[in-house]
Amino acid sequence: MTVAGAWICLFAPLAAALLITLTGQVISRRTAGVIATLATFVAFAGAVWSFFEVRAESPSDRENLSTLYTWLVAGNLHVGFQILVDPLSLVMMLIVSGVGGLIVLYSVGYMHGDDEERRYFAYMSIFVFAMLLLVESGNFLLLLVGWGLVGLASYLLIGFWHQRPEAVAAAKKAFVMNAIGDATFALAAVLLVWQTGTLEYFGVFDQVGSMSQTMVDLVALGLLGGALAKSAQIPLHTWLPDAMEGPTPVSALIHAATMVTAGVYLLVRASPIFEQAPHVQHLAAVLGLITLLAAGLVALVQWDIKRVIAYSTMSQIGYMFLGAGIGAYGFAIFHLMTHAFFKACLFLAAGVVIHRLDGEQDMRKMGGLRKALPRTHLAFLAGSLALVAIPIFAGFWSKDAILASALAYGGALGWTLYIGGLLGTFLTGAYTFRLYYRMFHGEPAEAPAAAAAPSHAEHGEGPRSMLLPVGVLAVLSTIGGLVYIPGVWEPLETWLSEVVPPLVVPTTAQDWGSSAIAVTLGLIGIFVARRAFYAGRQIVTNPGLWRLLEQKLYFDELYDALFYRPAVALSNVLRRDVEEPVIERSLDEIGSGTLQVGGEVARVQSGLLRTYALAIAAAVFVLVVVFVAVR
Amino acid sequence: MLSTALIVLPIAGALVVAVLPLTKTATAGLSFLIALGEVALWIVTASRFDFNSSQLQFSTSHEWVQSLGISYTVGFYGFSIWLVGATVVCSAAAIGYALWVGRDRPRAYHALMLGLTGAVVSTFVAQDLLLFYASFEAMLIPLYVLIGVWGGAKRNVATLTFVVYTMAGSLLMLAAVVAFGVTQGTFDLAQAGTSDNVWIFLGFAVAFAIKAPLFPFHGWLPITYREAPVEVAAVLSGIVSKTAVYGFLRIAIPKFPDPVHDLTGLILVLGGAGLVYGSVLAFRTSDLRGIVAYSSMAQMGLITLGLFSVNDYGLDGAVLQSVNHALITTSMFLLVGMVERRCGTGELGHLGGMARGRPVLATVLMVAGMITLAVPGSATFAGEFLIMTGVYGKGWGYAVIVALGVVLAAMYALRLISAVLHVRTGSAVRDEALDLRVGELALVVPMVACLLVLSAWPALVTESSFGGDKGSQVLTQRFR
Repeated sequence: MTVAGAWICLFAPLAAALLITLTGQVISRRTAGVIATLATFVAFAGAVWSFFEVRAESPSDRENLSTLYTWLVAGNLHVGFQILVDPLSLVMMLIVSGVGGLIVLYSVGYMHGDDEERRYFAYMSIFVFAMLLLVESGNFLLLLVGWGLVGLASYLLIGFWHQRPEAVAAAKKAFVMNAIGDATFALAAVLLVWQTGTLEYFGVFDQVGSMSQTMVDLVALGLLGGALAKSAQIPLHTWLPDAMEGPTPVSALIHAATMVTAGVYLLVRASPIFEQAPHVQHLAAVLGLITLLAAGLVALVQWDIKRVIAYSTMSQIGYMFLGAGIGAYGFAIFHLMTHAFFKACLFLAAGVVIHRLDGEQDMRKMGGLRKALPRTHLAFLAGSLALVAIPIFAGFWSKDAILASALAYGGALGWTLYIGGLLGTFLTGAYTFRLYYRMFHGEPAEAPAAAAAPSHAEHGEGPRSMLLPVGVLAVLSTIGGLVYIPGVWEPLETWLSEVVPPLVVPTTAQDWGSSAIAVTLGLIGIFVARRAFYAGRQIVTNPGLWRLLEQKLYFDELYDALFYRPAVALSNVLRRDVEEPVIERSLDEIGSGTLQVGGEVARVQSGLLRTYALAIAAAVFVLVVVFVAVR
Repeated sequence: MLSTALIVLPIAGALVVAVLPLTKTATAGLSFLIALGEVALWIVTASRFDFNSSQLQFSTSHEWVQSLGISYTVGFYGFSIWLVGATVVCSAAAIGYALWVGRDRPRAYHALMLGLTGAVVSTFVAQDLLLFYASFEAMLIPLYVLIGVWGGAKRNVATLTFVVYTMAGSLLMLAAVVAFGVTQGTFDLAQAGTSDNVWIFLGFAVAFAIKAPLFPFHGWLPITYREAPVEVAAVLSGIVSKTAVYGFLRIAIPKFPDPVHDLTGLILVLGGAGLVYGSVLAFRTSDLRGIVAYSSMAQMGLITLGLFSVNDYGLDGAVLQSVNHALITTSMFLLVGMVERRCGTGELGHLGGMARGRPVLATVLMVAGMITLAVPGSATFAGEFLIMTGVYGKGWGYAVIVALGVVLAAMYALRLISAVLHVRTGSAVRDEALDLRVGELALVVPMVACLLVLSAWPALVTESSFGGDKGSQVLTQRFR
């Protein structure tokens, strides 16, 4: 019975999506929201049920594979519609359905009054289903299915306000960039089919050792490509900031708490493959480091509050990649969990602000919101402190554990990652509190948009459906990291290490010592942001650097020149120089030639039909002779 | 009997429709009923079919010209069941669409559509080469007339182009059929052995390449798909093109092992080229039909890659993808027709913003678009994945090309979706333009529903295409 809860968890959101789609206008908009929320919490209940069932099993026997039916068959390949319920997938199920439920609940208030609430909640339910499929899948192909379907839901929700050209363009960009990741992932799966004859996790992992090094490297690279695109890591990251065109709860759920962290899940889930391809695993860590620094720098100069949080998400996922890349799997998942708490908290609190300011997202037009939105302010502050990893807040335990692992890993790679990661904590403090001070401190900006939007004033900071989730997430951001206190209380690490034993374990001294440095750097970052704010200047003062960062390091321009324009040019060339002149025109000539010949012959002969018949017969005869005689 | 009944019903129906002096609507309605009867007959056939067997089933054989070894032999293999199933469903939808829009001169029109259906079914069940050839040819005549009489402004050029290409293919195939039959002493596919004659193989291959079409034999495609009545374009790209798949599966690959071995590389290159070429053109073409047409060409390139992998993955994938493609391209063409009727144009520049106030159109087009681009989890994804796996057996480069095709498909399909549904309202989109009507939904939704069922369970097709045996065994042993 262990898996019944997991199946309920998987199918409840799908049922909600179908119900909302098929009933259409029969149900009210609010009912659609209620159905979606309830379904997600039912999923959470299913996950909790499964959790207790699995916990009752003996630690060595916690891998429950359950197959509903055979989804795809070809030759000897059989791919089941199957789920794997083990400690790793359970943690993910709890995060996805738990945080997901809170965010869907928040949406009920946030989307109230939108023209197409039903469509929104149908999409959200599809997303939750797809994400649960991704984390529960028992084989690589079904994982890829979930992988693609979350991308689809992300596309639909980024482009939810489809009248806005920016939203549609952002949605397409996200989809295409993820299609690149899907393609490399699919190629990796193809290699696995030929190398191992199966796509089931355990079947594959058992045989990884007998594959050639090149093959393992290629498989790992293919999977890494998928992970980079989904998790918006350099070089496949440019879609994420644009994705902020979607409604804010979407940004919180998909582009912060769950979907974008799927790459980390993949690195951990497929760790037996990556461990056989250490270079690729290290590449993941290095790309994580590069992303965490680059995104941290860019976040320093952005004005749109959602974009700042988006860059912060990229940066934090960089830490998770760093951790997973050196084999600190449990800590990577731990940071994934606390990040889901505090980043969802930040996005939802930002959503309250945006809601209150009637859609305003530019921090230059904000200020002094502490007084107008006191509870939101507290939640945002809790999220910010967790993000900067200030002690006792959730991010402190998880991020510092990753840094300590890098320290424990040692060697040139370990030290590079460690020092880079430490620099990142300084950047995190600086950009987070630049945002915080700009939004909540100082004087209200002239003509605050709040005054122009009295429509929401009557319910204070927002309806209860919005404030409750923000409150819960603020509490989780504060105490949600207390499942790992180095040397004292480490239940999460124990729980996960049975399925994904870490390659590196920091000593308690490394843990606490590293934390002291990291916290100091984070506090310096906060201090720098505070001074700059009260001095009325920017943190980045060099105009050249400012411009470079403001233009997001020119990645968009680079890709435009490298890929999009060549594709367009190729298409134009093919059409202008091949399709039209060679393929289409030549035909015109054949056509008119036939007409001419036909005309000539018709004058000589009595009728076209007989001529054609004769010509065809003659031609066929000649051809037959040629075929048979000429070898 | 069932095989013959499936061929005879639409052809007899065609005669009845042509002869009975009914009103315009009654004629079209009768024709639609006959098409639905054909679907029902197929359901009966499929329900009695033993999917665990890889033998020929429901076979009937009558001597025709004994001295030449010509016979009327028909029957079903697993893959023929699925190809015929796609055919009857798609042609019913196309005929229903003709009823919905009320085509002029309905007696002639519907007689031709039903006759075409009968000819396609006959091609898919033919087990004798001359019967196959005759059916293959019989498809063309209704198509010439349908395009030439009911087509758009440039229908004459389109028809001529189509005639020239297909006649060239037919000529080569007839020669190949005769040469093969003469050298084998029989036209019965079950009795005939293999041939190592490259020229005969090429005669078949080129004819199928034109029909599919494969790059660079696709010169007829752009103008024909643009000028034909939209439901004729749907039938042409959805099911007529699949006769090429059947030809490759039943004749060209099993009967010519040596030429296939020698020329596989060339054909795979052409298939891959067609996949990329079609996708790249679809990405920039400026009208809806152009996108669907070039996308269709890309898909046929993909299916060819699967076929010429000649392994279990590729063959199962090719059959699945043929069924998928028949259903999805027919749906897309009909949807394009519905948009064109509302806006008077299919030019992307004049469209846009149709999602607003038209939720049903938006939902159906989005679902169809996502299946077109093979979003993971869809039946088309399952097919593409199997083909990618299969063709990897012939070289990693081909698998990479398929992967590239996945990305390009996302680009052109999203472009189509957004151009119709999103951003600001296009100049040709009037506020009065209605959402999809119930009659239109009744045609498209069943096909999309079939695709969703296949998405939930693609093994339905892949497990039974070659019965209990492996596809590669059937092609390289049984069919030889």
